[in-house]
Amino acid sequence: MASAGPDKDKSKVHKLSLKGSAKLVAEFFQYSIHTILFQRGVYPAEDFTAVKKYGLNMLVSSDDQVRAYIKKIMSQLDKWMVGGKIQKLVIVITDKDTGEHIERWQFDVQIFAKPKRPSKSSKTKPASPTSPSADADADAENNPPATTTTGAAPAAPPEKDKTEAEIQAEIAAIFRQITASVTFLPQLAGGDCTFNVLVYADASSDVPVEWGDSDAKEIANGERVQLRGFSTASHRVETLVSYRLAD
Amino acid sequence: MATAAVSTPLKSHTGLFSSRTAGGRMPLTPSPRQRPNPVNINSSPFTPEKTTSDSKRICSKPVYSGNLSAHFAKSTSSKAHRDSPKSNIARVVSTPRKALELGVSDFTLTGTGTYTKSSSGTKIKKAAPVRQKTAKTTVTYDADRFIPNRGASSAIANAGSGKLDMQEKQRSRSVQNEPSSILASATDDAIAALEGLNIDDEDPASYSRPSPNTVAYQDSLANACGVNLKTRILQFKPAPPESSKPIDLRQQYNRPLKPAASSSAQFRRRIATAPERVLDAPGLIDDYYLNLLDWSSGNQVAIGLERNVYVWSADEGSVSCLLETSPDTYVSSVKWSGDGAYVGVGLGTGEVQIWDVAESVKIRSMFAHDTRVGVMGWNKHLLSTGARSGLVFNHDVRIAEHKVAELVSHTSEVCGLEWRSDGAQLATGGNDNLVSIWDARSLAVPKFTKTNHKAAVKALAWCPWNMNLLATGGGSYDRHIHFWNTTSGARVNSIDTGSQVTSLRWSPHYREIVSSSGFPDNSLSIWSYPTLVRNVEIPAHESRVLHSCLSPDGQMLATAAADESLKFWKIFEKKAGASAGVGGAGASGKAELSKQMTIR
Repeated sequence: MASAGPDKDKSKVHKLSLKGSAKLVAEFFQYSIHTILFQRGVYPAEDFTAVKKYGLNMLVSSDDQVRAYIKKIMSQLDKWMVGGKIQKLVIVITDKDTGEHIERWQFDVQIFAKPKRPSKSSKTKPASPTSPSADADADAENNPPATTTTGAAPAAPPEKDKTEAEIQAEIAAIFRQITASVTFLPQLAGGDCTFNVLVYADASSDVPVEWGDSDAKEIANGERVQLRGFSTASHRVETLVSYRLAD
Repeated sequence: MATAAVSTPLKSHTGLFSSRTAGGRMPLTPSPRQRPNPVNINSSPFTPEKTTSDSKRICSKPVYSGNLSAHFAKSTSSKAHRDSPKSNIARVVSTPRKALELGVSDFTLTGTGTYTKSSSGTKIKKAAPVRQKTAKTTVTYDADRFIPNRGASSAIANAGSGKLDMQEKQRSRSVQNEPSSILASATDDAIAALEGLNIDDEDPASYSRPSPNTVAYQDSLANACGVNLKTRILQFKPAPPESSKPIDLRQQYNRPLKPAASSSAQFRRRIATAPERVLDAPGLIDDYYLNLLDWSSGNQVAIGLERNVYVWSADEGSVSCLLETSPDTYVSSVKWSGDGAYVGVGLGTGEVQIWDVAESVKIRSMFAHDTRVGVMGWNKHLLSTGARSGLVFNHDVRIAEHKVAELVSHTSEVCGLEWRSDGAQLATGGNDNLVSIWDARSLAVPKFTKTNHKAAVKALAWCPWNMNLLATGGGSYDRHIHFWNTTSGARVNSIDTGSQVTSLRWSPHYREIVSSSGFPDNSLSIWSYPTLVRNVEIPAHESRVLHSCLSPDGQMLATAAADESLKFWKIFEKKAGASAGVGGAGASGKAELSKQMTIR
């Protein structure tokens, strides 16, 4: 922030990292979906194979249909991520019999690199075509007030210095937490659950036909547990799981 | 009614007014006959208010409940009229529809008839027309309630289904709704708009009603989530693929990640539990301390039956009697030399003979022991013999002074003796419950002496893939298999088998070891190593299994038991292409072995 000298370089790096970071976050989402499907037993464990990622053994579905389904989601998610259109990704686990939403995994995305007005209108993200380099400096100042809930503001500046390895470690920590969370999450009715992917996108974003408006599928009177988050130079992702309490 | 009043345009208002008065009047009029008339009157003025029409109808119904068919006819007509009043423009369109509606309304009427009956039945027919009126209003309210929902969901979508719904819910409403829905679908926007202005104002209300709700809901949600309303919540609409089978998460959580595949594959390995072949072994001495069965690398099985040694060729299935001892003694042990050309025979007298099997001639006799030789082992040209005295001698069979070493350790009969495949170590077990491990270079004292077994140790087996690993099995009081690291002398594993261990054989192909048991099971058990899981237990014989040996290709096990039978078990059958085994040893001989390993 104070470093005025290498401004040009910085902006350059920034621009690149925005795209790279979007990819990284999208990839994180992909593995999250797989991990949640595995850990929560939406699909049988035999359908999953271990893949080395983030220094962990990530379990990825090897079922062709599931893979194709997630791939379709991811292809659109990638576009939205790069366009900075996404504020949340939500994975909802639903009971097939009752249609009740049992569990809701929410990933909040914040974008640092976007120019934001000093006021709270942090949602005017579609205004992307402004030159990022010019706003980069102002951005740092604006971040603190713009982020309403999370304490990401102070964390924002150091993000830029974060190495790839540190980010990977942060992500690995999230996955460890997701894995560990099965210890407190209620037992799901085995095999009787299905899942949906929701995206909180800007109203202005292009929506392909496969995607339609939906309610938030919130869990009524659910318990919420905030999990870890991670941040890159341009994004911050927070994880939250809410679940229906056992009767 | 309130809604209607609010939204009806002026034009209809006048009509409304008149109709209302009429409606107001009608309930008061006591005579049932008059009611149909007013209805008709109302219908002609185009703009009876629904409430009034409803009221009329309901009023009329109680009156006409006795004569349903007539009542139906009237009510249908009245309804048809009622439809038309909705809007002037609509009326034009709806006139042709009347015909349709008649049919439809018949349906609805049947429904209505019962309904009205019940409702009317509850009320006093004449005495409380006013009351009925109030009742009617509530009814209409209900109708208003229902329709919005319906309209919101599917009114426009298709009239047909809509009719059915209406039947179920509200007849009077249904009649009114229908045309509106039909109109909406059929006619242009203008008509729809007009309708909306007039009577359909309920419907618009219904349409708009959820939206404020949802808006409010989303607002609250948005606030709760810190999202502003410029955000859309999008759902990936295609249904996710079905799970292929029910899932028990508890199982999943406990699942070991890596070894699951390999061990389960091993688990799934089908092990033939029926013998491949059974031969008679008459006269087999039921003595735990003897070793009377051996399978040569030349695929011949030698068995000592009392005073005879028989050789059974697995290739040809032929049996020949190799020798018969003098009547004062018996065969106490047989052992093939490594090349399969010679067989060593220990006798009860302590004599050890070496026979050339191809020629069926005795090559030499070696006299060293003065007690029976219960166990022998070849290491190239060295033959080790263990005797009842507890002494173990090494014989160099090439030289006249054959005894080259005395291994003194056991104090009781030696019944187990095995050379390691490389000849560097020798393991012996005895009736003194000891296991001695000898270094071939210094035979003065055993390298290790193990006292863990609590009974005689006959079963000894060196692991084919881990040279340092020795398995030893104890007798009936002990029942344990111990696994030793013969370099460090440490005991690395133990199994309580639950019965006397009479022999142990490692599989050269699978990470498994087979043990044969005496009392009480008389079975063969196949254990995975190092998991020590019992993969299978085969009830093998009717009495205790005394001896066992593996075929040279390692796939088949021969067992001899006190029930005087010799059985062949294909317990380590190699699957085509399976290379899970221990590489190296005997690779050169594989081709010929596979050829050899047909038994007849």
